[in-house]
Amino acid sequence: MFLASRNFCCRGIKLRTDLLSRSIKHSTSATMPFRHKNTRRIEGLDSNVWVEFTKVAADPSIVNLGQGLPDISPPSYVKEELAKVAAVDRLNQYTRGFGHPSLVKALSQVYEKVCGRKIDPLTDILVTVGAYGSLFSTIQALIEEGDEVIIIEPFYDCYEPMVKMAGAKPVFIPLRCKNDGNSASSADWVLDPAELANKFNSKTKAIILNTPHNPIGKVFTLEELQVIADLCIKHDTLCISDEVYEWLVYKGNKHIKIATLPGMWERTVTIGSAGKTYSVTGWKLGWSIGPEYLIKHLQVVHQNTLYTCPTPLQEALAQAFWMDYKRMDDPDCYFYSLSRELESKRDRMAQLLTEAGLKPVIPDGGYFMIVDVSTLNVDLSDVDEKQPYDYKFVKWMIASKKLSAIPLSAFCGPETKKQFEKYIRFCFIKKDSTLDAAEVILKNWNK
Amino acid sequence: THFLFHSLQAKMSRPVQARRLEGIDKNIWVEFVKLAATYSKVNLGQGFPDFPAPDFLTEALTRALGGGNHMLHQYTRAFGHPPLVKVLAQFFGKLLGRDLDPMTNVMVTVGAYQALFCCFQALVDEGDEVIIIEPFFDCYEPMVKMAGGTPVFVPLRPNPPKDGKLMSSADWQLDPAELASKFSEKTKAIVLNSPNNPLGKVFSREELGLIAELCVKHDVLCISDEVYEWLVYDGKQHIRIASLQGMWDRTVIIGSAGKTFSATGWKVGWVVGPDRLLQHLRTVHQNSVYHCATIAQEAVAQGFQRELMLYGKPESYFVQLPKELQQKRDWLVQSLDGVGMKPIIPEGTYFLVADISPFKSDVPDVPNSDEPYDSRFAKWMVKNKGLAAIPLSAFYSEAHKNNYPNFIRFCFAKEEATLKAASDILQKWKQEKNSS
Repeated sequence: MFLASRNFCCRGIKLRTDLLSRSIKHSTSATMPFRHKNTRRIEGLDSNVWVEFTKVAADPSIVNLGQGLPDISPPSYVKEELAKVAAVDRLNQYTRGFGHPSLVKALSQVYEKVCGRKIDPLTDILVTVGAYGSLFSTIQALIEEGDEVIIIEPFYDCYEPMVKMAGAKPVFIPLRCKNDGNSASSADWVLDPAELANKFNSKTKAIILNTPHNPIGKVFTLEELQVIADLCIKHDTLCISDEVYEWLVYKGNKHIKIATLPGMWERTVTIGSAGKTYSVTGWKLGWSIGPEYLIKHLQVVHQNTLYTCPTPLQEALAQAFWMDYKRMDDPDCYFYSLSRELESKRDRMAQLLTEAGLKPVIPDGGYFMIVDVSTLNVDLSDVDEKQPYDYKFVKWMIASKKLSAIPLSAFCGPETKKQFEKYIRFCFIKKDSTLDAAEVILKNWNK
Repeated sequence: THFLFHSLQAKMSRPVQARRLEGIDKNIWVEFVKLAATYSKVNLGQGFPDFPAPDFLTEALTRALGGGNHMLHQYTRAFGHPPLVKVLAQFFGKLLGRDLDPMTNVMVTVGAYQALFCCFQALVDEGDEVIIIEPFFDCYEPMVKMAGGTPVFVPLRPNPPKDGKLMSSADWQLDPAELASKFSEKTKAIVLNSPNNPLGKVFSREELGLIAELCVKHDVLCISDEVYEWLVYDGKQHIRIASLQGMWDRTVIIGSAGKTFSATGWKVGWVVGPDRLLQHLRTVHQNSVYHCATIAQEAVAQGFQRELMLYGKPESYFVQLPKELQQKRDWLVQSLDGVGMKPIIPEGTYFLVADISPFKSDVPDVPNSDEPYDSRFAKWMVKNKGLAAIPLSAFYSEAHKNNYPNFIRFCFAKEEATLKAASDILQKWKQEKNSS
């Protein structure tokens, strides 16, 4: 058994690795002081606070709804395609650096259909090591010292360190709950247009958009996207659109690509993920799609960082995409069937949490659900550590209820911890038996 | 286009791309791979085998897929799949005579390429100098530049044997005084590649000792690219510089499953080194790609388990592969020598470099050309003879691209049929020259 782990950067706890390394320096032979420290670009980016939470995840007696990865099986045809590919010799050697030809072709077809515009597989697409790699390539290609990058809180935790590693300044703007904190739906969480407009200035190089949104599950509406688009156009700002959960939208909602809004294609890099599309996070394949004049710079980064992605996985993914491309007008297409499967898990999760006295925020998309735990009034004031409430709560919940989640303040900048510390995040892309186990815990919560 | 210009006017004062990309956008492989794909009948250019990866490796992948553990399709540990880092720690621990902690002394990367990237990003700051030995695997230079560093080049110089015999890669050597002169107070690291791509040089203990002494004296790090560690011929030994006095603490060793197991398309690599250096590589890794593909790591781990058990035995892939490749090397050497091209016999890797002077008349010199002669020759050769190879100038800094205009690099990790076809092309070409 191995550890499937997901680490997050946390702002609440800074693991003082520098203290540790200093003590190692002293304990080894010190005839010459060791001057080789980390480079400036990664200063302060080493802290990885989920050490605690991922260690816990290894304990099989804990029901783990924290990590953002499926424990359901990928569709069988996806696994079969990889098995087929394993038998083909030449697929064990290097393929085209910017993306395996059959894969970029398949991606261009799928996204041409979705976007309603021509997408050149060779110049408008870059295949990367996961959407993570796409984010990195985009930021390294287009962001530098002197730039500001707007990040919407709460945010997928890597945005901030990546922007910092590029030497730029993250500028945060929070989603705010419009119903005085009484949120029943992810749609209640909105940006204040005036507040957003204020964040833009001549230094603003890009805004990072994540829709459907992790952790809240918000699916930005056309009107909301238009507000962002108008500002991007007005201030000549790029948009980095993280759309990894693009297929996971629930009834009554539609995923809209900001790149399809007028004036936006030429300034947007849209990011997708095989891991999230096909429930194969371990394949680590993602892609950036955009206009050639932007993608070409991402390609330069790519050719100077890892050059090419694994061939067999790209070929198998291409085959899977072809299969679903052919049935994109059919409800059985995996892009839609997964979403239906997850919607019932979402609803089940929400019900269990409500019955336990918690207040879930029903997500319109994605596979995470945030929950207001303040209603339980769990008194943790005697817990010593200087951590936000949600950290203490999750630790207490793991220890006493054997259920894990992720504290939301991990996804925030320094100013907004107070706003988000009553929320924790659950992941519901889990098989029935996992949800059954969670149900038992939640039903017995008050005992 | 008009609308683009219009919309970008506000920020037109500087380019949309970051300055770190300056001067690193050109890439020889993009061009030559395209040429090979279009024109070549026989491709001895890009470095990858055209023979299959070993059965035990592909079977490991099939087993992993058929095993019913669908969690192998999900994220594994970010710094390396536990079964893989464990066996790497065991394996390299044995080779280095050291106790290695799989969690802190080993990290898995997306090929050796990404390992190199992590090294430079983690350890090279603006203003740092990094010594690169020429000829070099071409990515070192742009990676140093992207990290804001200054590459400082020092050449291997050919000392041809007096008896007119073919040169060996061992005849290309560093001048100790010249090497020493490259170390300054700004020197952060030296990049060592042994066995060396493109020459095939296997640095001797004495040569490594020279480098090590300078590293220790100047407190410089060593980034040791050892991807061809198993491909050494004629009974030579690959020596790991990290095993020399004072070097473990300042060396990051880079390895590659692609080269080790003839599966370049799997893109699994690793770094081995002291925690106090690897911790910084981990920081870069967790902020760039974060995880590597799980299933490929699982299969590579099994490949290493097999090799651990068979280490030193005749059935070991690490014994068989170099044996096979040595034969192919000798075959190609003979073919090239037979037509008058002068190969430099490589002590290691699956590359060799040959002097193509007798064939120069086919590609006349163009004075004042921007493009190095060997590059023009290689392009002419693939277009007109269907034989793809890489010009040696690809492996030199801009300033030195014309130093050795008559050499091109051939890859011999190819099936017999491929090498025979190459020989046929060369023979025919020579005949044409003789009869004209």
